[in-house]
Amino acid sequence: MTQVISKQDLLSWLGKVAEQRIIVAPVRDGELVLFKEISNVEDIVVGAANTVLSPKEFFFPRSETLFTVEGKDGTSEVVPVNLDREVVLFGLRPCDAKGIVLIDKPFCADPADTLYKQHRAMTTLVGLACTEACADGFCTSMGSGPGDASNVDILLTGVGDSYAIQVITDNGKALLSGAKTQEVDVSLPAPPTVSELPTDGLVEKAEKVFNNEYWSRVADRCLHCNVCAYVCPTCYCFDIRDYNDRGRIQRVRAWESCQSPGFTKIAGGHNPRANKGARLRQRWYHKFLYFPHQFDAEVACTGCGRCVRSCPVNIDIREIIRDIQSLEAPSD
Amino acid sequence: MTSDNPFVPYPATLKRVTDLTLDVKLFCVEFNDHVLRESFDYMPGQFGFLSAYGVGEAPFGITSVASHKETVDFAVRQVGTVSYALHELQQEATVGVRGPFGNSWPMEDFKGKNLVVIGGGIGFAPVRPVITWVLENREAYGDMLIFNGARTPSDLVFASEFDTWASAPGTKLELTVDRGDDSWEGRVALLPDVLMELNPSPKNAVTVICGPPIMIKFTLEKLKKLGFEDEQIFTTLESKMKCGLGKCARCNVGDKYICQDGPVFNYAQISQLIEQF
Repeated sequence: MTQVISKQDLLSWLGKVAEQRIIVAPVRDGELVLFKEISNVEDIVVGAANTVLSPKEFFFPRSETLFTVEGKDGTSEVVPVNLDREVVLFGLRPCDAKGIVLIDKPFCADPADTLYKQHRAMTTLVGLACTEACADGFCTSMGSGPGDASNVDILLTGVGDSYAIQVITDNGKALLSGAKTQEVDVSLPAPPTVSELPTDGLVEKAEKVFNNEYWSRVADRCLHCNVCAYVCPTCYCFDIRDYNDRGRIQRVRAWESCQSPGFTKIAGGHNPRANKGARLRQRWYHKFLYFPHQFDAEVACTGCGRCVRSCPVNIDIREIIRDIQSLEAPSD
Repeated sequence: MTSDNPFVPYPATLKRVTDLTLDVKLFCVEFNDHVLRESFDYMPGQFGFLSAYGVGEAPFGITSVASHKETVDFAVRQVGTVSYALHELQQEATVGVRGPFGNSWPMEDFKGKNLVVIGGGIGFAPVRPVITWVLENREAYGDMLIFNGARTPSDLVFASEFDTWASAPGTKLELTVDRGDDSWEGRVALLPDVLMELNPSPKNAVTVICGPPIMIKFTLEKLKKLGFEDEQIFTTLESKMKCGLGKCARCNVGDKYICQDGPVFNYAQISQLIEQF
């Protein structure tokens, strides 16, 4: 038997949840579909394509004030920001849920990132399985898949006019209480087929071709616009800056990318990663070699395909994965 | 601590600001919290972030040693946005301090060994605590040969301590400048050449070195010629850093974070990194 909820009952349940919590879900914003805080559950869009941006910004915002410094008697008093909102992130796809669990590694490693952990603790994840494969996704090659329920609190899978419900955690169970569900005799649809990439021996191969001129060749057309990092569910590099608004000082953390020319440039002008090839290589190696090594984790790519879709010069991470298999180690 | 948020600095006060050279100031920083003044513990080679509130924060090596409880000291060259702002601050100004971060010079492993301490320009600041530490625990270490090199005599940092170091038991101080001036009676020579001339033995020795990349490059070549192995040569890596917590990934090189796995590495470790900075 499978627990199911009709589309209508799902919306009324979410309406009830919205009285208590903030709901973040995919909604239409001009031509884009983006995760946003919703005011009306009817606005939720659950099409086949994933959102343009990953939902990482609800844990690791594009910019976030780490603390403010208020002047008092000529001295500074540091007043940290605190959060007090409970959130339901609704309709995230398995690839994005995996992305969140991956960036938990750096942010929650001791000493934990206070704000990230608060965002995380206050958010319940309601996932939506993919019943159609998206155009550029390769999630099954990156350790996830269209029906992967492992990184969410609840996973919904569309079955006809209803959703099958898999409750994964106690948090999910608590959230679901009050929903009008039924036990019916249906089985979950088989997940769609996702195209596979050749990943066998990828890391071993990559270790040998670090100095291949390939990286410069691929990066030659890179505009260092950083869109790959901004749309990516696992890119987590950041910058910290101060803003001084008439004496009210805010220290702000904001997204940054290793593709930026100034990412590693130090005061005085020295830049150890001054060329595009080295920067493109850094992004790839960080995801596929360094991150798994540093955090004893899986690769920091979920196969969501966003960087493939967003790159203005068609740099394709899938192509790099395929190319590496046939690259030769440089002879020097 | 004002909060358990690792991004929030400890409020502190600039107790003394001293000009070390035309563009290097020594900031002696006192924590506003009395308890922290006593409990703040660190090892030579560790670093901290200094905040010039409203401008930002940047990492600097701590140039004092923890036994010196009154202040935590940073020698800061005026070269970037934050260091410019810090240089504008007067005595008694409020700053923020986060730290200590990173590993340290392996002072425990250095025990019983002869030390060759090499610092060029502002690169002398992170090796200075090695000298202070050794002099405070003199009998635990062998002979110490100190090289302080700079472009001109007025660029030599910590001049007020030269007499103390030169007269300490088992310690020799060698000063050298690239260009002399009217009052300079010391050496005018490149540091790597002075090193060759003095010919320190690699036997039972270690060397700690910090300075501009070009100095490091040529000094390394000479150290190799003198017979020093990669495992005997320690340096501290400089890098863009924003958090010091292994999170922002600015200082990621290979599978290391300079802020946590470093900043101190020996050359055997550095040569094993997949990417060479």
